[in-house]
Amino acid sequence: MRAAGTTKRSLWSFAAVFGLLAAALLWSVLSGSLQVNLPELLQGLVTGTNDNVAIIRDLRLPRVIVAMFSGAALAVSGVIGISSGAGFVSLTMVTIFPALFFWMPLFAFLGGAFACLLVFSLSWKSGLQPLRLILVGIAVNATFTGLGQSFNYRGSYAVTMVNMATTSVFNLKTWEDVRIIVLYGSIGLILALLVSPWCNVLVLQDKTARNLGMHVSRVRIAVSAVAVLLAATATAIGGLIAFVGLLVPHIARLLVGSDHKVLIPFSALAGALLILVADTLGRTLLAPVEIPASIIMTVIGGPFLIFLLRKGEVNHGD
Amino acid sequence: MEIKEVSFSYHRKKKLLEQLSLTIPQGCTTAIIGPNGSGKSTLLGVLAANYAPSSGTVILDGQDLSRYKTREVARKLAVVHQHNTAPGDLTVEKLASFGRLPHRALLVPEREADREALEWALECTDLQDKRQKPLAELSGGERQRVWLALALTQKTPILFLDEPTTYLDIFYQYEMLDLIQRLGQEHSLTVVMVLHDINQAIHYSDHLIAMKDGQVVLEGAPEEIITAESVKSIYGVDVVVRKEQETGLYIIPVKKKKIESSKLRQKKIDKI
Repeated sequence: MRAAGTTKRSLWSFAAVFGLLAAALLWSVLSGSLQVNLPELLQGLVTGTNDNVAIIRDLRLPRVIVAMFSGAALAVSGVIGISSGAGFVSLTMVTIFPALFFWMPLFAFLGGAFACLLVFSLSWKSGLQPLRLILVGIAVNATFTGLGQSFNYRGSYAVTMVNMATTSVFNLKTWEDVRIIVLYGSIGLILALLVSPWCNVLVLQDKTARNLGMHVSRVRIAVSAVAVLLAATATAIGGLIAFVGLLVPHIARLLVGSDHKVLIPFSALAGALLILVADTLGRTLLAPVEIPASIIMTVIGGPFLIFLLRKGEVNHGD
Repeated sequence: MEIKEVSFSYHRKKKLLEQLSLTIPQGCTTAIIGPNGSGKSTLLGVLAANYAPSSGTVILDGQDLSRYKTREVARKLAVVHQHNTAPGDLTVEKLASFGRLPHRALLVPEREADREALEWALECTDLQDKRQKPLAELSGGERQRVWLALALTQKTPILFLDEPTTYLDIFYQYEMLDLIQRLGQEHSLTVVMVLHDINQAIHYSDHLIAMKDGQVVLEGAPEEIITAESVKSIYGVDVVVRKEQETGLYIIPVKKKKIESSKLRQKKIDKI
């Protein structure tokens, strides 16, 4: 793949994912139990006179926005094993101190940081290898998910709230959720773009980065903190969705190359597209029954991981 | 550069470097040779501040190396590692430009000096025509030159190379060594390289350091220290040392049995 060819393909890929995201957005907003057409929707949103549109604005729009931001944040975070840790801590807080519900992003962040630390320290063996990282990530994920699920058997009043935090049904999302995820998510995405030059050097070996004057461990912690913020925000509001952080970056790298300045925005768009499509499919496929987006993602993600392992692509950190 | 009584170990029991003291002559090319596991690369790692010595000090420009900031070290010395990885779609120019990182803040735009250094490095390594090529499209020799270009872009007075010729065929090996020699002489760089090939070490260095079991066993001008006895004691291999007008000093390994049965035996036996 030539450099010129790569930029051309990047442009096409960006155009494609942008177009698809716009299409998915329209499809998602317009389809469901309440049907309106586009002119009605736009008119209703502006004038506020259409009752159906008002319901869509209150119920469907927040869900769509949350889904897109979750997808973008998770894809950009791209660090696995974190989302589960975030889920565990946030639901610990919900069960023990329900009043702290509002502070969930913060606690989810701490939990995410803890899980991240765990995954990194357990995978560290004179350097990080993607395969080991993924396997340790899955193990940590399984542990935290197990711990999380044990809360479900307590039979307390918190069960319904717990379920909200562990499965990613995007229904019942409010504009308050939108406010939180847009705020924290945007901060995370901007920070991710700011650290992208560091990421480009971090993909070289540690010793090379160090000989270029970089404080490798400090930079790695800073970059991980951004990843944790993103994953934690998405998980606290959107619930646990596995594999987005593995699947999207991998495909994105194939399409637009490894320059993080391009890779990060592209992954954000592709992640938003993926989750939006998964959520919209989930609520329209067997309506009125809803399939959570997390289940759809697991069904897609599992085979994808096996495919990657078979291809051996995760063995050498490209 | 000077190192004083440096010891280094990963584990408590086995020391990789033991009480090493030596001086790296400035403006010269120094080669480090020695068998596998003798501590050559470890020594280079300690000199390059990649490993902190467990005891002893490394002195760079009159100051303890460990007291420099990482970025300051990167302005004084550049390293070409033996095995390098980078994304295959990274272009030559982009990778080489990372060499300016020690000289500018992360979000500050490029300055004239940065562009000049990059141009100079690409010119030295003859990569100007390939600047837009992704690494995946380069030959092994070209790829090794890109890593050298990255180090050159740092514009440091000291250049370290860890086995710069491994993975290269003989053509690229000598191309690389000639290039390093030329650069070293033209810009009076202090070059330190770990080499496996003793003949290459003899031909391309002014100063030779021979290591065994974490210690420096010999140090000096190649012509003075390379003898059949010294090679035998370092590597445990019997060699013939010759010197000819055309080739200079060189060694050839020989099998003991073969020598004994050879008719040449009498001519060489005194040397062995």
